[in-house]
Amino acid sequence: MRLRRPTSWRFMMTESSPFLDLKHVSFAYPDEAPIISCLSLSLAAGDFHCLVGRSGCGKTTLLKCAAGLLRPTSGTVRIDGKPLSGPSRHVGFVFQTPSLLEWRTVRDNVLLPIALHRRVTRLDHDHALGLLAQMGIADHADRYPQNLSGGQQSRVALARALVTNPPALCMDEPFAALDAITRDELQNDLRQLTRASGTTVLFVTHDISEAVRLASHVSVMDAGQITRSLNVDLPVLADAQYATKAAALGQEIRTALMHSPKVAGA
Amino acid sequence: MNSTRIISIILFFALGFLWEGWVAFSNVSSLLLPAPSAVLSVLWLGLYDGFLWPHIKATATATLLGFALGTSVGFAIGVALAEFAPLRRVLWPYVLASQVIPKLALGPIFIVWFGFGLTSIVVITALICFFPLLENTVTGLRSAPRDQRDLFRMLGASRLQTLWRLKIPAGLPLILSGVRIAIVLALVGAVVGEFITGGKGLGASIIAAQSMMDSTLMFALFIAITVMGLLFYQLTIFAERWLLRSRHTGDNL
Repeated sequence: MRLRRPTSWRFMMTESSPFLDLKHVSFAYPDEAPIISCLSLSLAAGDFHCLVGRSGCGKTTLLKCAAGLLRPTSGTVRIDGKPLSGPSRHVGFVFQTPSLLEWRTVRDNVLLPIALHRRVTRLDHDHALGLLAQMGIADHADRYPQNLSGGQQSRVALARALVTNPPALCMDEPFAALDAITRDELQNDLRQLTRASGTTVLFVTHDISEAVRLASHVSVMDAGQITRSLNVDLPVLADAQYATKAAALGQEIRTALMHSPKVAGA
Repeated sequence: MNSTRIISIILFFALGFLWEGWVAFSNVSSLLLPAPSAVLSVLWLGLYDGFLWPHIKATATATLLGFALGTSVGFAIGVALAEFAPLRRVLWPYVLASQVIPKLALGPIFIVWFGFGLTSIVVITALICFFPLLENTVTGLRSAPRDQRDLFRMLGASRLQTLWRLKIPAGLPLILSGVRIAIVLALVGAVVGEFITGGKGLGASIIAAQSMMDSTLMFALFIAITVMGLLFYQLTIFAERWLLRSRHTGDNL
């Protein structure tokens, strides 16, 4: 299966057919109340879509449905028009923890997605080293993960998700455990890398300012449903208007989070 | 050398001298409690003369063969039970039963089946060190964190790849601690096996020494067994350190 890889994400936003499309998706564990109920969400190719919500609102479950790690109890998930029936190799997943294999070097960890399916070539090595270099950790390629700082480990996890050039990326609060400065750096790295490649990103976070900084779209989730969707149309960071506009948007998301209508019966 | 280790060594000599002094001044019969000096001289004689060596060799062989057999079977069955949940549910009661039954009680029937030789001892030893490895393998293979297992699913890894590249390496520390327990149990198994079958070996020699009321020789044999056990244990520690080297010290720069 060859997937479309748009080079310019801004133009693709207006395109009608969504790249990642969830329709009327519900998910419940057997004999339990549904975690997400009849939820629909569309991402155009190149979108950077942030899901914001409180703990337990179902955002991680939604993300795992979108990636194919969980099979929805009802509804469909389509990627580039094709229905998803299991974990898709065209979706990169970045977990809450870096989840690196501590018995493998940084380089081997990054190359793992390739090594599982074919022989790793010289070219793959160069590609992996290139990604590590872009994130400023090429010097650590032959070290073991536990000798790296938390921020460096998160970078390795990001490089591992990007090494196969997946057209879509699902990220589950990957930077939640990092300090503010490291988080800023990683957010910048992530934006640069995904914009350059036109990757479609679905990004779960509980951090409003992170959502405002990263996203082209923000959806607010509560009790298994999307209660508010916003377009983020901010000027560039250097613009004098940026801070005020970002603050206003952040306030809007905060209000939406606090005043989410309660689901019937709750 | 740190101070706790020095204290530990001083304690060893202090207890030795106390024991020696107690035997010298209390007129306790050497049949009940031989003096350490007498024990050491018998041990030295046995090693120097060479009459202990064939027994040491026999016990070491039985221990290592039983250990190799028991751990490899334990590991293989552990992998099978961890990978196939229905199999685990079907077989677990039998595995448990095989452990609850005192294996030494099976000694006589093994002698009937395999004779008085090495085979019986190896089988008893293998049975004893089979379980720690099986149990630690089952637990170890399920110890990989959720995110890592999801990662392998996401990457489209096959079942065999997930086992080989994730579950076994992730469980290795636990599996190796099972190996450490198994080697100690293997020596116990071999010595007690020799009690039952007789013939050659340190365990058989203890029975022989007992029939001659030679307590001094018995103590000398205890020391030989203890040193052998410590040696085997240390070897597994070295193996463990080597296998887990990247996780302990990390950089191999």
